[in-house]
Amino acid sequence: MIGDKMFMRILGKSILKRKSRIAIAVISVIIGASIATALLSVSLDVSEKVGIEFRKYGANLMVVPKSDTIEVGFPGVEFGSVTEQRYINESDLWKIKTIYWRNNVLGFAPFLYQVVSVGDGVNRQNVVLAGTYFDKNVVILQPYSPNDNPMFITGIQKISPWWTVNGSWISDQNDTTSAMIGTKVAETLHLRIGDSFTIYYDEYAGDAINETSHNLTVVGIIETEGYEDNQIFVNLQVAQALTHRPGKIHTIQVSALCNACPVEAFVEEIQANIPYVEARTVKQLASAEMNILGKIENMMFLITIVALIASALGVMTTMITSVIERQKEIGLMKSVGAENKKIVSLFLSEATIIGVIGGILGYIIGIILAQFIGYSVFSMSITPRFEVIPLSIGISIGVALLASILPVRRAVSVEPAIVLRGE
Amino acid sequence: MSEEIIRLNNIKKYYDENTRVLEDLNLIINKGAWTSIMGPSGSGKTTLLNIIGCLDSATAGSVSINGTEITKLNQTQLTRFRRENIGLVFQQYHLVPYLTALENVMMAQYYHGVIDEAKAVEALKKVGLGHRLDHVPSHLSGGEQQRVCIARALINEPKILLADEPTGNLDQKNGEIVLDLIRQLHTEGHTIILVTHNSDIAKLGQRIITVIDGKICSDSACTYEINEK
Repeated sequence: MIGDKMFMRILGKSILKRKSRIAIAVISVIIGASIATALLSVSLDVSEKVGIEFRKYGANLMVVPKSDTIEVGFPGVEFGSVTEQRYINESDLWKIKTIYWRNNVLGFAPFLYQVVSVGDGVNRQNVVLAGTYFDKNVVILQPYSPNDNPMFITGIQKISPWWTVNGSWISDQNDTTSAMIGTKVAETLHLRIGDSFTIYYDEYAGDAINETSHNLTVVGIIETEGYEDNQIFVNLQVAQALTHRPGKIHTIQVSALCNACPVEAFVEEIQANIPYVEARTVKQLASAEMNILGKIENMMFLITIVALIASALGVMTTMITSVIERQKEIGLMKSVGAENKKIVSLFLSEATIIGVIGGILGYIIGIILAQFIGYSVFSMSITPRFEVIPLSIGISIGVALLASILPVRRAVSVEPAIVLRGE
Repeated sequence: MSEEIIRLNNIKKYYDENTRVLEDLNLIINKGAWTSIMGPSGSGKTTLLNIIGCLDSATAGSVSINGTEITKLNQTQLTRFRRENIGLVFQQYHLVPYLTALENVMMAQYYHGVIDEAKAVEALKKVGLGHRLDHVPSHLSGGEQQRVCIARALINEPKILLADEPTGNLDQKNGEIVLDLIRQLHTEGHTIILVTHNSDIAKLGQRIITVIDGKICSDSACTYEINEK
């Protein structure tokens, strides 16, 4: 205990005596630690935020019912095959949120499509009607974990926040009279916000007797420059009632944030939870996203490694200079009885202190640097992550200790006879 | 007959083929004796002191100190042996510049594994520095620094005190003070080996050895023996 106190005295005073030398070593560590902290923070944050940005360009998983193909013909005579139209049960939607990667499911929206006609007499035009969720509360009947929220708000507003909407979104999930129409539909049918119109649906073409109709009011006009511009969007139950398909849907679009997890894992799990569906990845987007994020992370990793090597070289040079300057002091300590392990512990303790101070200051500067990189490169703020603190200090101590190996070996090799030679 | 404490047999020290510092040197030093070593610069006297002080090892020959054959010890064992048996006083004092007088003495205790601040204070009082305990070396005169060095050398109660030109950097007054201290230590029974260029100081010892070209050229003990015969 008293020995520890004496060791701390020697250590403390030796550091204070060589403040400027230690400061140079600390600055070297700060440079490495701040770059490591900044790039780590940027990497962690940007991966997530860029992932969310990518999500804005649409869903990256499409869930469709498996189609059964029925062979038609007699033995020896084949007429070909027909594919039976199948549906997904709306009551199974919640199961998508019960997979292992459920927290990476940002949202999903079911779709029931049908061709309907709009207008009177000869002016009738066919348009695709899409019934969906806009902003719906889905009850998760059997959550994956008891800690999971049993409610999940989802819909196209969540998976397609990038849509340009004139007017407003349909916000009431029980609203059966409002419609959002694509900009081309609005143009063709001369519809504006607030206008009312009627849609007609025939189960079989020309079956006017069984034709059903529904009156709608335009609340929003959508512009996506995609196929959505040619569609009419209503709440799912409106489409189901009009087309006599209660509880049925054609497809589910899923928006999954998947930087660290394989998209294939989502597919397998969704298919396991709802056995009669097929999940397909929108591979192009998913792989492009992962590719870009991967490249950003690789680049940052390389820069961090280079910065840490530079930092280690800085510390090593400073420590070697320090050992050369202190040769007589080391020789003296040895001549009065210091064993090599005492000399080693003195220098490694110094290195640890340099690492700790450099790590803490490097973290603070790194967070500021991260903001600068965030704004200037990615145009976004970077959230400081406290879990990076121990990492920054740990890396700094590691770098300082690693950089001390050569200087310590040199210190150990100092001969005690040097003090008597009067060199 | 006095008990021997140091025995050097056929000691050779070569740095390389052309640099032969000590050649077949034999020396026996008795317990409690004051031996002065003289010789011109480069004669090998400091190397001899280094070997006796376990700071350097001989190329060949055997060195026995206090019954231990030190040529058979490894570096760690040598360090332990040195701190338990030998006190060193240097011409240039060699104090740690950022530690106080007291801490410099306590540092030797720390490496010895037994820290006793009261004892360290007492050692400094004994060399007349009771009022300078908290002064760093740069605030002490040369004589005071040398006295701290002596206090440090003696704090672990070594049997042998090796002093390399202990008054070489001191004025006459401070030199006297330091020599008085060494004289006192000798009276207390310490074995003293003192390297000096100054024949007056050498004469304070009971025995004067002169080393030239790595060999003992004259030994007052031998002269005494020859004269006796």
